[in-house]
This record gives sequence, C-alpha cells and structure tokens, in this order.
Amino acid sequence: MRDQIEKYEARLLADRSAFPGKIAFAAQDDTLLADGNPELARLCGDVLSSLSCLGIVAARPSLPFADFLVRRAPRTESRIVPRDTETRTFLHDIPFLRREELGDAAAEKIALLLGNRKGVIVEGIGIVANGTVTVEHAYINYSSVFHAVFVKYLLDALAEGFLLPGERDAFRAFREEWLQPISAEGIPFRSGPLADTGEILEEIAAVGRHTVERGLVDSFFGNISYRSGNIVYISQTAASLDELPGRIDPVPMDNSSTTGITASSELLAHRRIYEASGASAILHGHPKFTVAMSMLCEEKDCPIKDCWKECDRVRSLAGAPVVAGEIGAGGLAKRVPPVISSPRKAVVYGHGVFTVGETGFAEPFRDMVALEGLCREEYFRRLDEKLSG
Amino acid sequence: MNGSPTIGWRGKLLHIDLARGTARTEDIPRDLLLGYLGGRGLGVRLLRETYHLDPFHPGMPLVFAVGPLCGTAAPTSARLAAVSRSPLTGTVYDCSAGGRFAYRLKASGYDAVRIVGKSPVPAILSITPAGAELSAAGALWGKPIGETVRALEGGGSVAAIGPAGENRVLFACIMMGEGNAIGRGGLGAVMGGKNLKAVVVDGDLPVAVADKTRFGRARQDVMRLFRASPVIFGELGIAEFGTPALVDLMRQRRMAPTENFRRTVFEGSGNYSGPAIRKAYRPKKDGCFGCPIQCKKSTQEGMHLPEYETVSHFGALNGIDDLHAIVRSNALCNELGMDTISAAATLAAWGEGRGRFPAAEEVEGLLADMGYRRGEGDLLAQASRRVAEAMGHPELSMSVKSLELPAYDPRGAYGMALAYCTSNRGGCHLRAYPISHEILRKPVATDRFSFSGKARIIKIAEDTNAAVDSLVACKFSFFGATLEEYAELLSAVTGEEYGPQMLKEIGERIYMTERFYNCANGFDARDDRLPARFFREPGSGGEGIEIPPIDEKRFEEELLKYYRIRGLTPEGAFSDPDFLGKLP
Repeated sequence: MRDQIEKYEARLLADRSAFPGKIAFAAQDDTLLADGNPELARLCGDVLSSLSCLGIVAARPSLPFADFLVRRAPRTESRIVPRDTETRTFLHDIPFLRREELGDAAAEKIALLLGNRKGVIVEGIGIVANGTVTVEHAYINYSSVFHAVFVKYLLDALAEGFLLPGERDAFRAFREEWLQPISAEGIPFRSGPLADTGEILEEIAAVGRHTVERGLVDSFFGNISYRSGNIVYISQTAASLDELPGRIDPVPMDNSSTTGITASSELLAHRRIYEASGASAILHGHPKFTVAMSMLCEEKDCPIKDCWKECDRVRSLAGAPVVAGEIGAGGLAKRVPPVISSPRKAVVYGHGVFTVGETGFAEPFRDMVALEGLCREEYFRRLDEKLSG
Repeated sequence: MNGSPTIGWRGKLLHIDLARGTARTEDIPRDLLLGYLGGRGLGVRLLRETYHLDPFHPGMPLVFAVGPLCGTAAPTSARLAAVSRSPLTGTVYDCSAGGRFAYRLKASGYDAVRIVGKSPVPAILSITPAGAELSAAGALWGKPIGETVRALEGGGSVAAIGPAGENRVLFACIMMGEGNAIGRGGLGAVMGGKNLKAVVVDGDLPVAVADKTRFGRARQDVMRLFRASPVIFGELGIAEFGTPALVDLMRQRRMAPTENFRRTVFEGSGNYSGPAIRKAYRPKKDGCFGCPIQCKKSTQEGMHLPEYETVSHFGALNGIDDLHAIVRSNALCNELGMDTISAAATLAAWGEGRGRFPAAEEVEGLLADMGYRRGEGDLLAQASRRVAEAMGHPELSMSVKSLELPAYDPRGAYGMALAYCTSNRGGCHLRAYPISHEILRKPVATDRFSFSGKARIIKIAEDTNAAVDSLVACKFSFFGATLEEYAELLSAVTGEEYGPQMLKEIGERIYMTERFYNCANGFDARDDRLPARFFREPGSGGEGIEIPPIDEKRFEEELLKYYRIRGLTPEGAFSDPDFLGKLP
C-alpha cells in the first residue's frame, strides 16, 4: 500500500490541490500504515484506527477556501452546502468541525464525523477524506471536496465579497500566483478521422492526460469518447482521465453487446450527441470556473427552485448554451444534444462542459480551453465590478 | 432490556409451533432491534439458542424477518430474509428475497415469524393482523409452485415450496408468489421437513416514518445516485437488460465458468447474453415490489426469464448454447422450487465425472428427476459435493462448504476467490460481492489480479452487506448508493441516529455471530478452501488477458491476514468461547 500512498501524494502535488509538506495518508490492511507530514500522519492513523475503511487522507488544501467557508458560515451551521452537481450527487453537503470544537480529542471527533461521511473539513487542519475500498478512493473523495469548496467559494465571494481579515490578500494570491494560464498550445493532436482502433485508444488516452496536465480538470472529473462507425470508444466509469490506457470501453451504437456496462455514466449523452451532431469526438470535463459561472442566473422572480434539473431555458455563457440536467439517466442526455450541434459546445448547469470535434480532439480541446478561459475572465470581471462598486 | 416503543419496527415476533399447532406473539426487545436491525441480523440473533441443532431437527427454527425500512418508500427495501441452518452446507444460512410477501408480513404487524416443529400433516400457515391460522395443505402437497400460488393468492402473498422442498432436495428454494426465490442453501427443504407447504400473509397496517422530510431528502439522494450509476440505470445496465447484462462482460473479462470451470470462455455465450434475450423474448420489466430498478425480466406472457448466474451455469458451465432450453430449465426449476445455480453446477460436476456434459434436450428430464428424487435424480438432489464423492472424484465439486460456486471464475478476480472462502454460507458471490469493484468499478475500481488490500476490503464488505441484508435492502442499490444514504433513510424512518460506521459495526456483529455458530458446529479454516482446480489449472487466456492459476501461497497469506483482521486465530476460530455472551 505504500506505493499507493506515494502515488496519490504525488497526485495531490501535481494537481496542486494540497499544500506541499502538509499531506498525510493512512492505510490499513492487517497493520496500520501512516505516512507523510508527521503530525497529520499521526492524526490520520488515530482516525483510521477507529473506522471501518481502508484508507484516509488528511491534507491542508493549497488554497484557504475551505477555512474561509467555515469561518463565513453562521455559528449555528455545521456544514456547507455547495450546489454543484458533483457535491449534490455524491457528497450531498460537507460537514465541518471548527477549530475550537476539536479540543484534546481531535482524532476522536474527526472519526465520529468522518464515520458518517466521505469527506469533512476541519478548520486549521484541512480536508480529511476516507476511502472504503482503496487509497485511491480516499484521494477521489478529497478531490471532490476540494472541487466543491473551490466552486462554492468562488460563488460566495462573488455574491458577498470578502468578509474576513486576510481574505482579500489570500484571494489576490490565488488569482495572481496559484492560477496558471491554461492553453491548448503545443499539443500535437492527431488529425482525424481516426479509423485504427489502436490510434483511437491512444488519442483518447492522450487527450485525457492533457486535460488534467493543463489544469483544465482534476483527474476524475469528466469522460471522453470517439465514434468510429458503429462503435463508440468511451472512458470507463470512475476512470482517471490521465490514466485511461486499458480503461476505455468499445460500445456498439446498436446495443448488440453489454460489455460497456462499465462505461461512463454519460454514455447515453455521448450517443445522443453523436446522433444529433454528426461529430466523431466528445470531450467532457468539469472546469471549475465554467462550473461556477454556469450556476449564475440573472432571471428574477423565477418560480423554479431546482434549477439544476428543472430549468427548461437555454441560457448562454461565453457563447455556449447552458442547460439543466442530472447526470447519467437524469435528463442531461436529453437536453444537451439539441443545443450542441451548431456551437459545438454546451454547458450543463453546475456540472461541466461538453465539446465536440468533427474528426479529432484538437477542436474540442481548444474549445474547452477557450471556454474555461472566457469564464475565468468573466468571473474576475464581475468580481472586480462587485468589489469596486 | 429496554422494551419501549419503536418507530419503523413493529417490535413483535410471531412464534409458530407446527407440532403443537400453536401461535403466540412475543415482544422483541428494543435492544435487539437497534443492534441487529431486522432481516438477516435479527434472524441470526433469533437462532442463538438453537444453532447447534440439525437443519432437519424439528426444533430448528425457520425465521422470516423483515427490516425497519420495509413498508416505507425506501428504494429496494420491500424485502425479507429467511434464516435457518442449511441442510446443504450445515452452516447458518440466510437468504434475502423481494416480492410482496415482505411488506405484507410487516403490514400484518410483525417484524419476524419464527416457525418451529413439524406439522403432523402437510400444512398451510396464514398470517393476518388478526393472528395466525394453520390449515391442511390437502391436495396442494405435491403440486408445483405455480399451481400452489394460484390456489392460495386470494388470501394474500404466498411463500411456498414445490416438490423439491417436499422431497428435501438439498438445494430446494422457498419461492415467493411473484417468482422471487429464497434460494441456494436449501431452506425449501427445511420448510418441507416441517411439512409446511406454504405461508400466506396479508395485512394493511401502515409503517410510521419518524421524519418524513428527512426521509424524502434521503430518498431523493438515493435516486440521484441510481441515475448516476451505469450499472443500475445505464443504457446497458441491469434495469434495461437484467443481470444477463453481465454475460458479455464476463466473456470479455475471460472469467465465465465453462464446462465445470475447466475453461473460462464459452464461445456460445452470445446466444444467451442480455441483447440475445431481448431479441428473442422482447421482455418486459419486472421486479420486486416498489423497486425502481426492476432488474427482473419477464416474457410478455409473464414468464420469468433467467438471471445471469442461471443462464451462465445452464449455459457455459454445461457447454449449452441453446437459449430456449436454458429458459425452460429456469422455468422448471422455479416450478419445482429448486435453486438454479446448484442444480446446474451439480449437473456440470456430474457431467465431467461421467465424461459427458448433459445435452440441452436432456436437462429438463434430469431436473425433474432431481426435484422428484427419481432414479439418478435421487443422487443429484444431494448436490455436487455428495455427487462427486459418490463418483469417487470429490475434486470435481466446484463448491466451498458444499455450496456450488456461481458464475464468476475466481481465477479472474482474486477478491472473489477470497470472498468465496470467507463467506459464512459457503461459495456465494453476494456476501462481500467484490465483483462490484473488481469488475464493475463501483465505488471505485480495484486490480482484479491482485490480493493487495483484499483481506481488509472483503472484511469491510462482508460487514457492510450483513447490515444491508438486515435493513433489508437489495445489494444492487449499492452500485449507486452507499451506506451513507441508507443510514439517512434508516435514521429518518426510526428516529434513531445511524451512520455508515455504526451500520458496519452492526454488520460485523452479525457476521461474527454467524461465524461463531459455524465454528461451534465444527467449521474452521479447513472449510475456507477453494477447489484445487483453481490453484492448479489456468483459465482460458487470450485477447491480451492471461488467466493463470491462483498463487496458492499468496492466497493462504491473504486468508491468514483476513483472520488477523477479524481477530480470529490462524485456524479461523474464536479464542473467546464466551464471544456471544458479550453481544446484545
């Protein structure tokens, strides 16, 4: 398991979601193994020894947004409620422990809370997440909490401005130092159409890797497919986008085989998009600024409350249509295909982006980069306006 | 023990003594409900005084127990567990089934029915909120399931045995009226041994929910996860194709047991895959009462179509690629009240032993002979271990603790290999259910060809599923939802606070109780063994996948690790003889 711990510690550093030197994992088989920052490793070990799960991660996030959200929350609250799709579907909400609640029994209190949830925020410590099945499972839960916190903080800051001492400076550091330019430059995409199965699999895997390495998405947030004739080659459910070799299912368009039961939950959406658009390549990811911006709506006095699934309007975001819809069999597959053909891109409320390519992945990759870039610019424009006004 | 009222549970046990013809209602102590939930857990707890009795001893109870979610709108929870000791394996045994019987039992006012004794004449037990009645089975004794159910369903939901149960076929089922089976370990034979042909239940008492708003929210959370799960509601998932959706996948993974596990790929499996069944029968959705998934499939005329394990074992395991013959075999087993997995696996072991697997057209006759214990069928009715021993080739029984292995070759998934052995009821895929992560990537994928971490994973999953079986919920729910959402449902219904960790601890208590019963009845590490074939012979590699024999030394290491994690001795036993005395 030590190799797994090393792998996912490196992941946390590579995706820049955790603070270097402030990461620890614990894993247990017949013995308990804790590794990383000594103080956090001790905490991880103590927490894990009272839980029925295989792994746990505790790390200080690279951005202070989680602590800010805790401190901004009313004193009566013990959880934050991000409204992005990942959280709504898989985490529901994120409980937290305030610094003063920890006392001398931090591990005990964290274990009590974490025994009921996939991930929690502990003020002053960071995000603590568990993995029932693997160390990777703990990493995914950490990553989901980090993503949720990121998006919620962006939205809260835009709505309310900065409320706490140090928040403005921290946000400036985030904007000027943490964020890096995203670009599609210099990536050698194959030009399509791709007919050879080996080429298709290699190209899907390469695009997935670039999507993560260029900071567009964290590794578990998205899926990719390519259609060749009657076959859709699509990344598997719960597959890391930067580890796709061996994790791509060939699925016949006519459902003549069910081997693809392990395919991404968005298989149906991909099929319908192919049918509607005539495209050959689909890239789907959850870039954070696009997710956040998709949840802003100017509509006043709208009777719809569950916008994420009930809204039947098609809004526009940086030239892309925005529609509502739950993942999997929940409506997204109905609402995206009708709007994606002409703009070659579409955004799903609180969820992410679909971009399509005529014959290859150069176009959808470029479009996703551009959209996230525009959403980032628009976010900061609105924030600056808010703060100056 | 605290006997204060509960919400969600009834707090009542119906005790039936068939020998005396009596029925009485007992209060179930609140501590037992809180600590064992219902279903499997409650049923296992109720065996504490009798677990050492022979499965056919009149004093051995047959328990039907529902769970605290039954009767509510909690997804997939209109289920019950039947619990006793298996005549096939000798282990404590439970099996979960859906249908309408479970919620009607709850609506009659009971959490559980415990049946002891042997009726002097074949009998029917009827349960309503007004009480219980016994009547003579009369001419129904000897009748197949369909006829029995049709004769009795006017009185409510029916759980019945067929000729296989009456004749004590060691893998006889109890069949629910809607076609669901309490299968595998032979509880139909236990019921037959009691001269009990059927139980009929009817009732209309509602189940209270402590916090309806919280319940509604938790239910929505579960449904959202179902919709996000490709295995459940995906275009290729079980709601669309039923469990035969797994046929193509197991073929592709090269782990479809073929010709009594001599090979792991069957060229003809495409004939009975999910799409093949859809094309041939244009099936309609069917399933358990109130279940949103509806994974079962039926013909337009209402005949139930076979599950994955059934098509694979009547198919590949016996070298048969005739879909219609497989469907007829399934239907016949259902009519006789006989477990399809054990029936097919017994035929395969017998077929290999005699040097020829049965032809498609022979199978129905053989199944009928089994059910009625005629001719060769009398031996086959004793299942594969006893058949193989009688043929002088005990190694040909592909079973663990005498329970035939289902259609997941352990050489293709090492967690499954371990789980078959550590399962308290023998070679069963549903206890730890590692197929979920080793093949279906839920909740995340694990390396199917590695033992790393598997001992801990299996232990956690066994505990988790013991809780799931006690709620009682369907395991398919957990291809999407987790204990987190089900703990919310449970808390909302009962008003008691439960969380995933707490449920896993309850599951551990149940699992360890079962293991203790088994150990006290003579089971130990020597029974946690896979057939030697899996350590000696490779599967059918190809298409870039190798299926080597399992590394026996590595397997043993992981099994010992499992015992350490469980706190057992290296012999798989308990060091504390008073283990049960410390439990509620």
